[in-house]
Parts: sequence; structure tokens; C-alpha cells
Amino acid sequence: MNLITALARFLIFPGLLFAIPAAWFFLWVERKAVALMQGRVGPPFMQPFFDFIKLLGKTTPPRTGIAGLLMRLWPLLAVSAAAGAVGLLPVLPSSGGFEGDLILLLALLELPSMCIIAAGFSSRSIFGEIGSAREAVLSVSYNVVFLLAIVSIAASQHTFRLEALAHLPASPLQILGVVAILFCLPAKLHLNPFSLPNAEQEIYSGPMTEYAGPELAMWELSHGLEWVAATGLVATLAAPHFTTWWLAALVFIAISFGVVLLLSIVASATARLQIDTTVRFYWQCTLIFAVLAISSALFMRFRS
Amino acid sequence: MNILTMLWKNLWGGSRTMMFPARPKVTAGYRGMVRFDPALCTGCAICRFRCTARAIEFKAGKGEFTWSYDPGQCTFCGRCVEGCKAHAISQVSDCPPIYLTIGELKKSYTVARKPPAPKPTPVVQAAPASPATKSFPGGAQ
Repeated sequence: MNLITALARFLIFPGLLFAIPAAWFFLWVERKAVALMQGRVGPPFMQPFFDFIKLLGKTTPPRTGIAGLLMRLWPLLAVSAAAGAVGLLPVLPSSGGFEGDLILLLALLELPSMCIIAAGFSSRSIFGEIGSAREAVLSVSYNVVFLLAIVSIAASQHTFRLEALAHLPASPLQILGVVAILFCLPAKLHLNPFSLPNAEQEIYSGPMTEYAGPELAMWELSHGLEWVAATGLVATLAAPHFTTWWLAALVFIAISFGVVLLLSIVASATARLQIDTTVRFYWQCTLIFAVLAISSALFMRFRS
Repeated sequence: MNILTMLWKNLWGGSRTMMFPARPKVTAGYRGMVRFDPALCTGCAICRFRCTARAIEFKAGKGEFTWSYDPGQCTFCGRCVEGCKAHAISQVSDCPPIYLTIGELKKSYTVARKPPAPKPTPVVQAAPASPATKSFPGGAQ
């Protein structure tokens, strides 16, 4: 991948120019689907965009010193990381990529979560600090399953290149990995039943408590981009291989859309769990997934 | 699984949100909007003192008074109705009102003070003759 291709992927497709409208669309789909399943009307189609524009027009409280600087920096870093993660996704066939881009994608996917933790502690708000602590504990819990799932798929194919993983034929380990990732996505995207870091009713959105105006708009945008990147990762691993670019893009978007709907159903059907229940759930998931992954790997080895 | 069935029904059953200007039915526990009858009001202003939400205002003038009520501020507690001895205030179970600007629903009534009822004139009665004062005919002895 040369510099021009990398810039085009980061800025145009599937990067910022595509990903930002896609982020607003996914945020709208999630809100609308949850609203319809709860018997409400839900927001109009353009609402996430209007929210973003409205927040951009507001003023932020004056912040001084290093803490203020850091508070302004975290949302920008989160947006950049999430946009970079979307830019790495191999949406189109033969879209380039490089050896080890999966590791970079995982790092970029994790960076917004780290920024949220840091933002909550930088804000010096008690609600922000509680939210950040919860996010940290949650991150440690679900990331074990999340990383184990992706790394086991990659290790079984002896490659950390995303495009190579996108072209894999379906295997039990791959299906298992996708299911494990789907289990982790509600925690990664702060959805019910694992929405405890940004619990509105208990800790006033946790790390976001002290944020307003354009900074909050950036957080919303990074959240939307995380949606695109996380559902895109599932689509990358689950989508069958197509040589025609429009069919590949269509299937990619359809699978991402399906994942958004699935997560919305889970979010509207469940209530928020306590932190200890969440941690226990993910560590039990880890144990079960580890046993299944090893069994699947042994099965594949004996079969081949 | 019950929750999934419920979600499925909600998804296809339409939303329960009422679109403006449709209004929901009031519940049995709702006391209702305050209605004022100027003809019965004596201008004692006890309603104003009993209104903790400051929805009722009272301004006394010469020969008249102005009584104002803002449903936007009213909590529909009914304390004004309880306190009104003249039964000039009552509650009707209409929906809570909709307003877009503060004070839009405020209504004022300027009521002429009724002349005070004529005081009953005291009836003067002749004092009965005291038995101690006895007149003696013939003058001093």
C-alpha cells in the first residue's frame, strides 16, 4: 500500500468521507430500531446529523492547564483512531493492506476505549471517574474474549493480514470466532446489557459528564465510527468472497446492517447488568471459548 | 423469550406515542385545571396565599381587584379550591395545557368589588324600670 492509496483509504473510502455518513446512519438505525421495539416513534432519519451540527455550534466551558488540554485532545484522538480503523477494513476486493494490519486495526479499535478511560479521569468528576473505572474493568474483561477470537482465527491461517482473513473459506473456528466477537460488541459499543460505563440514570453518562459542545460532538462521532469499524470487522470475517466490487461492498454493508439490527434487539431486550455480573460473564465466555477454540483447532488439524 | 415476543409485537404494532395535537386521557388521580367564577369571588385572596406554585396572582385596586391564573405554573394540587369559602374556584378534569412560551396561558380577571353588605342597625329598646328606684309620691319627707 503506497502513501496515496493509504490516504485515499483513510480520507475517502472506506475512511472519513464514507465512514462519517455511515456512522450517523448506524446510530440512527440503532436508535430507531430500539424505539420501534419499545413502541416509540424514534428519531427522524437526519437526527444524528442534526445532533452533531447542534453540538458543534455550542460553546464549551473554559478549561485551563494540562487537564483542559487533555480533555480537548481525547475526543480528537478517539475520532482519528476510529476513522483509521474504518480505513483499514478491506471492504473492496484487492483493496491492498499490509502484513500485520489486523494488529493495527485491533490497536485502533481499542484506542477510543482508552481515550474514554483517560477522559473520565482527566475530567476530575466523580461520575466521570466511576465511569472510567467501569470502562477499564469492562475493557479488561471483554478484550480477552475479543482478542482471543480474532487472534485464534488469524493464527490458524498463519497471517495477520486482513485481506487474507476476508477471503477465508468458512470453518468452525471462524464461525466460533465471529460468534465470540458478536458477544463482545455490546460491551465495546456500550450497549445494554453492558452499558454500565455510560449509565445515564446512575452516573450521568460517566466519562462524558463534563463534556459539552464540539468535544461532545467528537465523542458522538467517534462512537458512530466505532460502530462502523466493529460491525465492519464482523462483516470482513463473515462475508463470503466476491470478485465484483459492488457485490462485495453490498454484502459488506448488508452484513454490517444486520449486525446493527442484532445488537439493537439485544439492547432493547435486556437491562443493564452490574459490573461483577458482567466481569463474571466475560470470564466464563473466555473459558468456554478457549475450550471450543482448542477443540476446533485440533479438529481442523486432524481433518487436514 | 417473552421479551422477544413483546418486542416483535411492538415492532409491528405501531408506536404508542401520541402525535400532537392528540392528548392522552387524564388519570383518575388528576384533580384537573382550575376554573374561576368571577361572579362568586369575594376577593379575599386566600387562594393566592394557599398557592405554593405561585400560579395565582392577586392585585388589589380601588374598587376592584385583578385575579390571574397561569396553568403553566399550576401543579393542580387543589389547595386553592379547598380554601375558597365562596366556591368561586373549582377544578375540571381537562388535560394539562400545552404552551410554547412562558405565561402564554395566563388569564386575568378584573372584578369589581362588591359593596359591603349593609350592617344591621342595632335595635334600641327602652330599659325596664329598676325596682331600686322607686318614686315616691309626695316628694321629700
